[in-house]
Amino acid sequence: MRRATALNLFGAAMLLCGANSSSFALAQNAQERPKQPVRRVIDEVGRSVDVPAQVNRIVTLAPNLAEIIYALGAEDHLVGVSEYTDHPPAAKEKPSIGMPVNPSLEAIVGAKPDLVLATTSINLVKTVDTLARLGVPAYTTDPHTIEGTLRSITDIGDVIGSSHEATALVANLQARLDALQTKLKSEKPVRVLFVVWEQPLQSVGDNTFIADALHWAGAESAIHTKQNWPTISLEEVVKLNPDYIVYAENQMGDDSNGSSLPAGIRPAIARHLDELRNQPVWRDLSAVREGHIAIVDDEIQVPAPGLIDSIEQLARELHPAVFSPQSVSHVSSVPRTWHSIPSEAVSCVR
Amino acid sequence: MRPLTPKRITWICVGLAAILFVIVVFSLEVGASPISVTDVVKTLLRGAAAMFTGNWGTIPPSNKLIVFGLRLPRVALAVLVGAALSVSGASFQALLRNPLADPYVLGVSSGAALGAIFSLAWFPHFPWTMQLLAFVGALLTIAAVYFLGRRGGQLDSTTLLLAGIVAASFLSAIIMFLMTTLSGRDLRGMAFWLMGDLATPPALRLRFLFIVLLIAIGAIYTTASDLNLILTGEREAHHLGVNVARVKLVVYVGASLLTGLAVSVSGAIGYVGLLIPHVMRMFFGSDYRLLIPASALGGAIALALADTLARTIVAPVELPVGAMTAAIGAPVFIYLLRRRLT
Repeated sequence: MRRATALNLFGAAMLLCGANSSSFALAQNAQERPKQPVRRVIDEVGRSVDVPAQVNRIVTLAPNLAEIIYALGAEDHLVGVSEYTDHPPAAKEKPSIGMPVNPSLEAIVGAKPDLVLATTSINLVKTVDTLARLGVPAYTTDPHTIEGTLRSITDIGDVIGSSHEATALVANLQARLDALQTKLKSEKPVRVLFVVWEQPLQSVGDNTFIADALHWAGAESAIHTKQNWPTISLEEVVKLNPDYIVYAENQMGDDSNGSSLPAGIRPAIARHLDELRNQPVWRDLSAVREGHIAIVDDEIQVPAPGLIDSIEQLARELHPAVFSPQSVSHVSSVPRTWHSIPSEAVSCVR
Repeated sequence: MRPLTPKRITWICVGLAAILFVIVVFSLEVGASPISVTDVVKTLLRGAAAMFTGNWGTIPPSNKLIVFGLRLPRVALAVLVGAALSVSGASFQALLRNPLADPYVLGVSSGAALGAIFSLAWFPHFPWTMQLLAFVGALLTIAAVYFLGRRGGQLDSTTLLLAGIVAASFLSAIIMFLMTTLSGRDLRGMAFWLMGDLATPPALRLRFLFIVLLIAIGAIYTTASDLNLILTGEREAHHLGVNVARVKLVVYVGASLLTGLAVSVSGAIGYVGLLIPHVMRMFFGSDYRLLIPASALGGAIALALADTLARTIVAPVELPVGAMTAAIGAPVFIYLLRRRLT
């Protein structure tokens, strides 16, 4: 019996050696990594990150970060993306490193990245901590507003060595936002119920960038709360009595002609209205009675360049009068989609 | 059943340790990132050599990082947590004289999880708070379940299990309440964590965990012969000279410590504590002198295997290991139950 205990101890001691050796290996690793020139940057959550002077292999841990990399034209350096990365469609072809909340650390390390991009809106501190401990530089963005999203684009551009592209892109997006603001200046904000999830009904709190995006689109959330994704009861919806009900849906229609809405919107609105009109209580809401349903591309939930497209689209749905054909020329004087920014337009904006 | 001799205990433990070794090597070889078996073996051998020579340069950095930095700590954690949960299950089964007792069923895991969430919500930056509060949560829950499970001064099997189920659902309700109302950044991963999650912890905590688990298992092991007597009846054990109160206290604190620590590093993982001691009893009999080390090794084998499956079957997406243990454990448990009935 005593011998058995001794044996157990032996087996356990072997494991301890394993644990020791792993920390030893890590310490060694940390020492031998920085052979190429690095520069120390502070990320948006205040961590200092040693980024190689020349970033060649990027892994993104959230869909919006991959979208930003594409928008900056650095997609050739993108060697790994998280699940759910589907924008732009080409990003789906990149190798996956797992879910944003619990990515496979080993898949990340196996991609041999010299920079990992994370974001506070979906990734966990734990993941970034572990990567840092393993000597993999991980830069975290922390956008809470549209301005914050633009700042993140600038920061990422700076970190990956595409600051030129980032400045141009941000200037373009900012110009579109400014144009939108000018247009909607005299409009009263529309009080909307933004539906994040239908069962259970979830909306947005004040500190989310969706709430901020609504402001830019000439709207405001009917619900004010510190919780980010409040679950709300139907009773509360009745009490709030929103002007519009807004759903976020994936619709990749062609919306390049400025004034009209994406092709899929009308049927989607009709479908939602039909559904709501068949439900007790919902059908008596004034927004439903008047057919005040708006559909916005689900890009509005993603803090990336495409978000500005969604804001413009929502603004057109909520304020059709302002966007009547004669006033359209004003907004479309700024190129609308980042996919196709002509270089002349970029230099003219700058 | 053959008589239990020290020789037999030794050989069974050596056998189980050999199986564990094979499983550990196997799980070091598979993963989301493809590294050939020969490269893993080379990395391991060179790593072992480097521990003596200090020359790590011969190993490609990314292989070293994946094998030593990620896979080894994770497998080691699975081994430790599996052993802890399994021994804790075996202990509760003896302490409460109930074959269905296990940290998960008795609500002890939920209590530990609640303690851990408290610490994450209010003391996120203090070291060891999570472990400490998880331990306190486990201790309080098992005490509450123990007292609720008594009827007329006697421990009643059915009442005890019902008390455990009630405690687990009540604590889960509090956990849900906290997770809904506190929209803090660190609580977001909780849903995964509650299902059991073995993603790499810091190396320091692994060593600490190892030492404390060893002490707790060792302490429980010292009571093994007494536990055998207590299982035949507390009064009988008392008449045979066993200090029943002391034994129960040691086992109670030891098993709570094991559960609290396991939950604080890996979330609530079910079925290991329930199933492994039963499987071990089936093979090796119910003498606690053998059952405790056999359960420790068996739990280690089971969880290392379950976690390897969890991180590889849909790689690079990782499943919570708790979902894996439940998916395998539930049918196996039903099988054992039916077999015992017929």
